[in-house]
Amino acid sequence: MFLRRLELTTALRPYIDDDGGEALLFIANGVGLYDGKFKLPNYQKGHLYLTSHRVCYVDDEEPRKYSVAVDLKEIERTEFYAGFLKSSAKITLFPKPSKRNSQGIRSPIPQYASPSDALVDASATSSRSLGRSPAPARNLNATWACGIKPSLALMIKAAISAMSTRPAASTNTSSQRNSTVSSDLDSYDTQSSALASRQTVVACPRCTFQNDASLPNCEICGASLQNSYASQLVQRPESPGPTLFGSIIGNDTIETIKFSFRAGGEKTFLERLKGALVQRKWLLQSAPPVPKPAQSATPSNGSPWQIPDTTRTDTPYQRVVGIAGLERRGAELRENNKAVIGTAFEDLEALMTSAKEVIAMAEQFSRQTNSGTNSESSEAKALLSDSASALGLVATKDMLGTGSASETLYSTELARNLAEFLTDDRRGILRKEGGIMSLVDLWAVFNRTRNGIELISPLDFERAATMWESLQLPIRLRRFKSGLLVVQEKSRTDDKTIASLLNWLREPQYAFPPSKDDLRSQSFGRGFTAQETAERFGWSVGVATEELEMAEENSALCRDQCLDGIRFWENHLMHAFDEPTEPRAQLHAVQMMDELRF
Amino acid sequence: MATTSTTPTPLPLPSSSISTPAQSSTTQSSTFTFPTYTHFPPLYTVQPNLQTRARQLDLWSSLILSYTAHHHIFRLSLSTPPADLFTNPPRTRTLKPSDIRIVLDHMALQTPSRIEWLPPSTKGEKMGNTCWVYWKTLAEWADVLYGWVEETGQKGAVLTVYELREGDAVMGREWVGMDEGMLRKVLGVLVKRGKAQVFGQQEGEGVKFF
Repeated sequence: MFLRRLELTTALRPYIDDDGGEALLFIANGVGLYDGKFKLPNYQKGHLYLTSHRVCYVDDEEPRKYSVAVDLKEIERTEFYAGFLKSSAKITLFPKPSKRNSQGIRSPIPQYASPSDALVDASATSSRSLGRSPAPARNLNATWACGIKPSLALMIKAAISAMSTRPAASTNTSSQRNSTVSSDLDSYDTQSSALASRQTVVACPRCTFQNDASLPNCEICGASLQNSYASQLVQRPESPGPTLFGSIIGNDTIETIKFSFRAGGEKTFLERLKGALVQRKWLLQSAPPVPKPAQSATPSNGSPWQIPDTTRTDTPYQRVVGIAGLERRGAELRENNKAVIGTAFEDLEALMTSAKEVIAMAEQFSRQTNSGTNSESSEAKALLSDSASALGLVATKDMLGTGSASETLYSTELARNLAEFLTDDRRGILRKEGGIMSLVDLWAVFNRTRNGIELISPLDFERAATMWESLQLPIRLRRFKSGLLVVQEKSRTDDKTIASLLNWLREPQYAFPPSKDDLRSQSFGRGFTAQETAERFGWSVGVATEELEMAEENSALCRDQCLDGIRFWENHLMHAFDEPTEPRAQLHAVQMMDELRF
Repeated sequence: MATTSTTPTPLPLPSSSISTPAQSSTTQSSTFTFPTYTHFPPLYTVQPNLQTRARQLDLWSSLILSYTAHHHIFRLSLSTPPADLFTNPPRTRTLKPSDIRIVLDHMALQTPSRIEWLPPSTKGEKMGNTCWVYWKTLAEWADVLYGWVEETGQKGAVLTVYELREGDAVMGREWVGMDEGMLRKVLGVLVKRGKAQVFGQQEGEGVKFF
């Protein structure tokens, strides 16, 4: 079974590919990893994230270094050990038998010869990846070996039935090409990609014939040459797989993975894991859409339809011509919508599974009705799409177990969510507010994006906000003297703010001084109110007042009470005034006038 | 106040204490040059930051002392402060009376003390509104007075207090116009030093210097 390197977001949570339909199911903390009977060093204290596609372990101490994931599709079965006395509850994952143990695959796809492997690897590494470790996109090309394009029906059967382990290479991708089944070819590329080997001859285990190392089977007796498999694996440099910086990542010798739940949550985890294994959501990407019985009616118009019983052809993929085709397309769409709505809203569970399709339909509607460039509609669309992701991405309370320990876990997860939300460059929330934002404003904005589901109470919000420091996230909560709580990036220190304020104060204000009498006062710069500061920096007025007062506390600014409020000046009182040297001051003024005159 | 214009203006003389005959505190002999910091508006607001405030009060103290020294003002009254002392030259900011009191209190606590509050004149007032300003300390005054006595060879002579204050002989001296109470204090210092002796009753008091 394979442990893959895990990619983390800025808030140190696993990167969840919502485009690929991955959804977060459960989170547990206080988890340790075991390999068989032995504890794995460095992987003993962390969080376990269960998604519909993977099980992810994120270490607490050094999350960027020691985080791994196991794909659910590689799990054959699970075993539960309830804790006894000192040993805590454990869940063991057994991998699907790998290729080397089983005698060939059940599919009829032939093995591939070695010259094409380089091609395979090259295309794998160069293809775009969606943040999962290896994720190449392939075309439904003719097989390398014999040039015969397999029929779609065959491919689907093979994909669904044979889920053999591949220690190397790719997982499923969300292929944006037409054929959704193409990625299943990946499962059969294992043999091919693994065959780029370093050794030249390999002895067959059965008949001791010296085969060429690139062959999968012995030429004489047909036994599979698998013993060189593991070593080939380790030596491949151009593998699209993860980099081998940790000894357990990519290590094929790990037989079973055990999770030890030292803080509870194992029962719910097991339930959800079993549910996820049954549902096989990772197949949804590669599998064809849910077959709709209404659609498989006989082609009444006599126009050619493609294979109606196995695949679902969405209307764009169908080649129709003429007005009749357009009409038919409209009719199909309506039928489709009817079916989707019918099945989806019958049952909440079914709604979750059909969520993707419902969202797509909603987007389509919005596009049709608001075809004008109305900015509000685009926001509504964004909201729609966000709500879809919000359903899956955000930690909700029912994702965690019950009990007091889960309260802190909920807070930490919420803190991470908030950090991701704030540092999301697409929204640029902090940037819009000038880099600093009051906690209340943030609460309002955050809840607004939740669209009425799973709103966060102020108490939870504040508790999560106080955890940012301890979780070493890149934003921090700051309390001003008056009690105002604000959120800002960790890198914005007080000194930086003061320096930027002073720079602004020292900027030359006028090309010509307004009056001669004021020459002296001009040399002091100008004073600014909180309102002006807020406008200049993009802060809110409350925040601006607090920042100015903070600068005043640090003796960088001094205040001046005037009729229209309080203005802040650069603190010349501290620095500039020695004993009044009047002649010099006079000279300065005269000089300025002279300079202006010429 | 110094202004600049296209025609060359003679620079005003730096303020000196010994100049043309100084009279009461209302007339000004020569124009007092206000230092640059009086143009700085935050000077007229008491700063909350303690460091800044300490510095601000120091600046005020030196301003008040130089101003009173220039104009020979011996007594300050909060109800009628000198107009241009507590207002900035462009006439946009003024130090509030409560803030003036803060400044004067600060000066009273300095060593040597520069301000002495006088007891309230009307009954029922908690704090007085007037104070003496020691732009020279009592010891300094005592030295100056005794120096004059020595100069004019009046050692051993008996002078009345009135003469010391307003007599012809003392015309042009710095202490002319000094409050009587203040003068008595100065004389008290001299008495302690053993350089003078005061006798007589209230009206016609005399001083003898040794």
